Amino acid sequence: MNRARRFGTVIGLVVLCAILWILTPYFLTVSNLLNIAEQTSINAIVAVGMTFVILSGGIDLSVGSIVALAGVVLGLALRDGQPLALALALTLAAGLVCGLVNGLLVSLGGLPPFIVTLGTMSIARGAALLVTEGRPISGFAASFRVLATGRVGFVPAPVIATAVVYLAAHVALAGTTFGRYVYAIGGNEEATRLSGVAVRFHKTMIYGVSGLMSAIAAVILTARLNSAQPIAGMMYELDAIAATVIGGTSLMGGDGTLAGTLVGALIMGVLRNGLNLLGVSSFLQQIVIGGVIVVAVLLDTVLKRNRM
Amino acid sequence: MKRTVLTAVVIVLSCASCNRAAPVSGAGGKPTVALVLKTLNHPFFVDMRRGAQEAADRLGVTLQVQAAEREIDVEKQMQIVENMIQTGIQALAITPSGSREIVSALVKARDAKVPIVVVDTRLDPKAAADAGVHGETFVGSDNYEGGKLAGEYLVKATGGKARVGILEGIPGHETGDSRLRGFRDAVKGAAGVAIVASQPANWERDQGFNVFQNMLQAHPEIDSVFACSDLMALGAIEAIRAAGKTGAIKVVGFDALDDAKKAIAAGSMEASVAQFPAEMGRAAIESAVKVIHGEKLPDEIKVKLELVTRDNVK
Repeated sequence: MNRARRFGTVIGLVVLCAILWILTPYFLTVSNLLNIAEQTSINAIVAVGMTFVILSGGIDLSVGSIVALAGVVLGLALRDGQPLALALALTLAAGLVCGLVNGLLVSLGGLPPFIVTLGTMSIARGAALLVTEGRPISGFAASFRVLATGRVGFVPAPVIATAVVYLAAHVALAGTTFGRYVYAIGGNEEATRLSGVAVRFHKTMIYGVSGLMSAIAAVILTARLNSAQPIAGMMYELDAIAATVIGGTSLMGGDGTLAGTLVGALIMGVLRNGLNLLGVSSFLQQIVIGGVIVVAVLLDTVLKRNRM
Repeated sequence: MKRTVLTAVVIVLSCASCNRAAPVSGAGGKPTVALVLKTLNHPFFVDMRRGAQEAADRLGVTLQVQAAEREIDVEKQMQIVENMIQTGIQALAITPSGSREIVSALVKARDAKVPIVVVDTRLDPKAAADAGVHGETFVGSDNYEGGKLAGEYLVKATGGKARVGILEGIPGHETGDSRLRGFRDAVKGAAGVAIVASQPANWERDQGFNVFQNMLQAHPEIDSVFACSDLMALGAIEAIRAAGKTGAIKVVGFDALDDAKKAIAAGSMEASVAQFPAEMGRAAIESAVKVIHGEKLPDEIKVKLELVTRDNVK
């Protein structure tokens, strides 16, 4: 059943592409497909963290603000002339710490994830604005910007980064005890705890993963815009949740895959790109994207009900 | 499978209903010009689009107008530029959401040999020079001059004695920064005019209300306001009304929105600097068409500014 649904998402993507191929000659070109892959990379990476969190039965509204804060840390470090490796390490650490704070508040504090991450969403955003006085930090060396503008062969660097992130996250989720516990906690937290799993520890780590993913996305975003904006990443949480849900992950937790999330992110990217190519009005684009999200969740619910 | 069908239906419907203006430049051999705006949920840009469409119809070019959902979402604007380049547009007119950030997208336009017309908000000269990007021309009003116009008016209207509170736009945005600089330079010479508070209200009406309400708490002596946009000014006017000080505080805004003109006519607002966005849209498309035809353009095409006060409000 699970496999059938995942398959359905892939078919949805293929049909979407086929329709766009028929409607516009600009869609199915190598340069446009690479363009889509590059544009999707940031949302796809943030959605990895979101998938871990949603699989465990939680939600993370702070990802967009963490993207901004981690980006600002990166921008400041680079502006101060720190070596690239150190600047990147600081950035990832900033994201990880933000995520772990979320995790601790949820697991030790026993607070609902929605409330905790709503709070940290505002805190991280405020911190990013505070340290930059609201101003973007821009103009970085080409050696850094190559992380977004570079190509390996003909593949843009952000696409390579996305592939690496998905491979690593897939191994963690499908091949380790940590991954099994993510599903177990989302499926039945109480039963998982009673069977001797350190639920609090693992929950904290899950939010840590989400923070880390936001930081990786921040690196790509900052390199892409050649600027670290404290107002960057607004609404990224909603895009990431949408990609995860379109990809078939249940908001109730315990059920879903990373492959589905990747397809979900690609559906959103293809849709946005295609609607641009077709010259569809910006307002109508929002309606279409919203419609696709609702339809995806509706199908998910219907399929689940049938299974019962 | 059902999902597939539904997704297909959604897409086909969306395209059937709106795809009259497909960006195929081959259609009748008409060249296609893309106008990428900051947003379409602000009257300023809606007017700009109208002016642009009129020019496009008159000159026989196909116009593609796209905008991000949110004014400050420069990454989304970058995606739109990348996508429009894929459709083989002949020229790009753009109001940058970020003077520095958008340069990365314009590099791709340059590489695709798409000429660029910059509208309303300038590119950061250094970022553009570093990246080797240059616009064929800049179409817009001089925000610095507009700020100065507002400042000079306020000095005159208050007889050179004022305690001014300023509502700024989003920090780091060229438009607001220039207006602010112009205003400050204009009041610098007047010894009796002091700026007692200056805070960002991020271009928004509700923030204009809240920020000014707080400002008034901290500085009850404020007798004049300069807001870098009318939306913020209109918020401040509501805060003034709530404090029972209507008429005692002179508000000068920027943009001359319809609501602001009404407030000026009603006496709750003093003045606003009018820009002519439809004129900008028209000039942008005319410039783009000239570039397509290989004509040289001046570095700048200035669109007039006008101070709207009680005497000339329509």
